[in-house]
Amino acid sequence: MPPVIRIQRLSKRFGAELALNEVSFEVPPGVVFALLGENGAGKTTAIRIMLGLAQPNSGKAEVLGLDSAKQGLQIRQRVGYVAERPTLYEWMSVEEIGWFTAGFYGPGFLPEYVKLATQFGLPPKKKLKTLSKGTRAKVALSLALAHQPDLLVLDEPTSGLDAMVRREFLESMVDRASQGQTVFLSSHQIIEVERVADIVAILRKGKLLLVEPLDELKAAVKRLIITLKDGATTMPALGGHVLSQQWQQRQGQAIVRGMTDGQLAMLRANDGVAAVEVHPTSLEDIFIAYMQGNGAASSPQWSRNILQEALQP
Amino acid sequence: MFFQIDFGDTLPIYDQVVRQIKFAVAGGVLKEGELVTSVRELARELTINPNTVARAYHRLQDDGILASVRGTGLAVAAGAANRCREERVELIRLRLEQVFAEAKQSRIDPHKLRELVEQQLAEEPPSPPAPLPKGEERTEHGLS
Repeated sequence: MPPVIRIQRLSKRFGAELALNEVSFEVPPGVVFALLGENGAGKTTAIRIMLGLAQPNSGKAEVLGLDSAKQGLQIRQRVGYVAERPTLYEWMSVEEIGWFTAGFYGPGFLPEYVKLATQFGLPPKKKLKTLSKGTRAKVALSLALAHQPDLLVLDEPTSGLDAMVRREFLESMVDRASQGQTVFLSSHQIIEVERVADIVAILRKGKLLLVEPLDELKAAVKRLIITLKDGATTMPALGGHVLSQQWQQRQGQAIVRGMTDGQLAMLRANDGVAAVEVHPTSLEDIFIAYMQGNGAASSPQWSRNILQEALQP
Repeated sequence: MFFQIDFGDTLPIYDQVVRQIKFAVAGGVLKEGELVTSVRELARELTINPNTVARAYHRLQDDGILASVRGTGLAVAAGAANRCREERVELIRLRLEQVFAEAKQSRIDPHKLRELVEQQLAEEPPSPPAPLPKGEERTEHGLS
């Protein structure tokens, strides 16, 4: 089956800022795909380009076989999208916005919207401007799901929502996935991603650091705790790809990817090494290790005069 | 049955599901012939990826713990309780293996270790199996 989303060498520049830098990935059908990254990593920009709401400077995005740059409208017709801060017509009531939105979709929209809104316990007569953030989010989700989209796109779906609403969001997401729908979400809620995602991608400052099935990633990355013998002065070479390491006197901790049994045996046999413990990693360990990797420490550029003023006694 | 999934745990979620079902079968919480919750329902209940549940169920089928019942779903297979009880012993053995490896690494005297094991065995005999969990709130399955 062709991928539901295909992103090829996508770049987007905002002034001097490179929001996306040659990003490529594919989302196969029927999976929950999570794009992880800090605020400002470029997650929302990628989503907006996919849906044809923004144009890239270079590269190509395709969703459901359609070209995002030219067929954004058709894409949005077939995709359910919940923005991070959904904009809704505030003066409409819950039932009015369903009726209004139904006009853009097929005849099945309204009954499905009513069904979803009832399940979520939404008050039909209430104006949107009077609703709490959690209830508004449920309105946005009901609108996004009512046309039974082939693909559900959620931008930071649960950020700022209370525990009960988050739970309901996650339940609907899981339920859609059970029915074979594809779900694409951006998030920085790592624990939530760990429980719902099939494939994770990590974006940092516009650069895609990895795209990989979550279980393969967790199987490949291990946490090592290495204790050196008294008097050992040189740090032993670690095998595999070292994502991060910290040393405190005679003990070190490293997050290592793809270390072979042979490399581990060599490390254990090293003259200066007293002990090596190998532990599995959580997605959070992995995410932090990638974030601490090369380039993360680049110091922000302050204007010289601001710095001088700040340093005045 | 009720699950206790630890999302911060380094043990994969599917593995936690597999283990807990095996322990439930071993302890008689799930009886042979009893149907297990469908993939969709369990995914929803635990709010985890349905493929994770499916994978756990596949593993349990491969291990002969679950068998498909035509048209209705998956049920605990005949003879599964015995297999699970044996496996419980194996899991304990693996845990002990880790403990012994740690002891060896810390150069604890084998005599001392034997003394510790004897001490443990000499303590109160193991208590009878824990009662079934009472009607826990669904929400306890974990929002963090």
